[in-house]
Amino acid sequence: MVLPAVGAIVLVAIFPLAWTAWESLHLHDLRMPWRGRPFVGLENYARLLADGRFWGAAWHTGLFVVVTVAVELFVGLALALGLDRIRRGRGLARVVVLLPWAVPTAVAALIWRFMFEGETGVANGLLTAAGVLDEPIIWFVGSVTAWVPVMLGDIWKMTPFVTLLLLAGLQNIPDTLYEAARMDGAGAWQRFREVTLPLLRPALLVALLFRTLDAVRVFDLVYVLTGGGPGTATEPLSVYAFQALLQDLRFGYGSAVSMSVFVLAFVLALVYIRVLGRTGVRGAAT
Amino acid sequence: MSRRDVSQTMQQIYTAGRTDRRGSVRPALDAMPFGLLLITLLLLALGCHEAPEAGTTVVTFSGSAVGAEAEVLRRQLATFMAENPDVRVEIRSTPDAADQRHQLYVQWLNAHTPDPDILQLDVIWTAEFAAAGWVLPLDRFGPPVDAFFSAAVRANTWRDTLYAVPWFVDVGMLYWRTDLLETPPATYADLLADARRAMGPEVPYGFVWQGARYEGLVVVFLEHLHAFGGRVLDEKGRVALDSDAALQALRFMRDAVHRHGVVPEATLTWREEQTRFAFQNGRAVLMRNWPYAVPLLEDTATSRVAGRFRVAPLPAGPGGRSASVLGGAQLAINAHSEEPDAAWRVVEFLVRADAMIERARGVGQYPARRDVYGRPGLGAALSVDPARARRIIEQAVPRPVTPVYPQLSSILQVWLHRALTGQRDPATALERAADEIRSLLERVELAPTARADGSGG
Repeated sequence: MVLPAVGAIVLVAIFPLAWTAWESLHLHDLRMPWRGRPFVGLENYARLLADGRFWGAAWHTGLFVVVTVAVELFVGLALALGLDRIRRGRGLARVVVLLPWAVPTAVAALIWRFMFEGETGVANGLLTAAGVLDEPIIWFVGSVTAWVPVMLGDIWKMTPFVTLLLLAGLQNIPDTLYEAARMDGAGAWQRFREVTLPLLRPALLVALLFRTLDAVRVFDLVYVLTGGGPGTATEPLSVYAFQALLQDLRFGYGSAVSMSVFVLAFVLALVYIRVLGRTGVRGAAT
Repeated sequence: MSRRDVSQTMQQIYTAGRTDRRGSVRPALDAMPFGLLLITLLLLALGCHEAPEAGTTVVTFSGSAVGAEAEVLRRQLATFMAENPDVRVEIRSTPDAADQRHQLYVQWLNAHTPDPDILQLDVIWTAEFAAAGWVLPLDRFGPPVDAFFSAAVRANTWRDTLYAVPWFVDVGMLYWRTDLLETPPATYADLLADARRAMGPEVPYGFVWQGARYEGLVVVFLEHLHAFGGRVLDEKGRVALDSDAALQALRFMRDAVHRHGVVPEATLTWREEQTRFAFQNGRAVLMRNWPYAVPLLEDTATSRVAGRFRVAPLPAGPGGRSASVLGGAQLAINAHSEEPDAAWRVVEFLVRADAMIERARGVGQYPARRDVYGRPGLGAALSVDPARARRIIEQAVPRPVTPVYPQLSSILQVWLHRALTGQRDPATALERAADEIRSLLERVELAPTARADGSGG
């Protein structure tokens, strides 16, 4: 009975991965067919290490992961705590919170792009009316400002997911513990620190794991919103891999970039799984 | 990857089908699994009814074949077949988007399929296909090169050999508002002054061009670069991008945006259509765009500047030179075509003066032959006066003619956009772009023997 499952995993997971790894050891450039497809060992990886655009993309990926995941966890926790208090209309509240998550990423990206586009976009209108900006700015031309719609878009879309995970975790904490803490004279902050946080830890770690691994591979949001620009100021690793593979048709080199995304995600997953395993998360995470 | 495999498999099936009409099909069939065999047989059965009569040569044509273009093309091919009963021309549909068509061609030609025999190429593909040995050198057919605009011929020449015949051309033009200016600016310095004078609350933009990080940005930069006397590659193919002229050109572009405020910052996110909308809504004094915008801007139903604009050559640089970048389509013959002579007859027919005028009348495209611009009939067909159009096309320049143009452009797009959005100073951007292009050209290892005999694949 194990055989079909193993077969399926080999077919859909291991085979494409092995193929990409093998491809990354070749010089394979569809735009230079006269060079054929010679085996070049680790040359693509050596080139990668010397490629400024690759390091830029790695840095952008890291920045994106740290900022969005931190904000999503923080805001998600606040929302979950709030939703946990609601006694009436809880179902409706949850649906409303979850709505952004249900919007397809490409569509969400287009909405954010529309809001930040040009001089007359919604964002410019609101911020100048509120007196935050003296005059409209062209968000997608600044190497810093272009990050604003990208990160806001991700936070808007993915915070609901974190909220829901944490809400489930909160509801697993028995009320009796809070009562006992209250009897012992613990204030609200103390109850949060001593009861809620420790018991929510497994759910927090699961949310962290999912969000980090997703954010490391971020593609569609950036691709639609900024295309990685201005220049390559918002280009993460996946967008660079796409550029190398499908725009420049450098299959060998693009595979090497893809492998770097895989290795990064894989190492992070291993670390998290070890941490999660140690905290005995199994019961609480479900 | 898998997409490629699938398409190659399809290719094998397809090739097998083709070969059958001409002779042996056995080896292809033996190598095929049963399912594929079945599909092949089905395809063959379907193909049977169109088997040509004895003595008829079948030539396949692939290119833009939608809408009005398809109509003109079909009519012209019908005329050709009436005059040449021994040849039948079939149209192979290809995607209309340039990138997708390029990808499809690469897959076909890389697999050495004998058809399509005739390929409509974008102007920047010829060198790539020639170096790969995918298209035939055309010199042996004696093409009438002198009849065409020289930039179009240069764009289709690789290592002193012509590989594709220019069909129609596209060039950058300066659109200017006749109600705001008396004459179009002759130089880029005039442009700054004129634009600033005409700008106001109603017309906030002085000059708009395509500045997003894509091919269009490279085109606009090349037009500035040539006007300022620079170039990307010299005659020997060496990188000449880190020159004073290039630096002046890029600085001019950056300053026009950030110092003079004549070019709006938003232009750095715009492609053709966004610039057209800005101009069409009356918000820009001047615009750089292709000729396609003329009829759209003349449309009184949607355009606020109908009757209040004209086109002129792009401004000149300090040396007095003005340059437009050349776009457009060419016709080439598949190196593995089994009917190269019949294919040439079709190409030769399609690029005749009459055929070009007919095409101009049907779809408004600008003929690549300079000798037709004086002919009656063309004036009514084009949206720009032929004499003026000819003057603009005469000073067109091809984009760098190299088999790795797409990669070269990709490098330029990134560094130009970094410089124009203020992330790098222009000097550094050009130096780094030049370095990257040099290492690209080294990596290419163009074999001097890569010729049309197909040994290159």
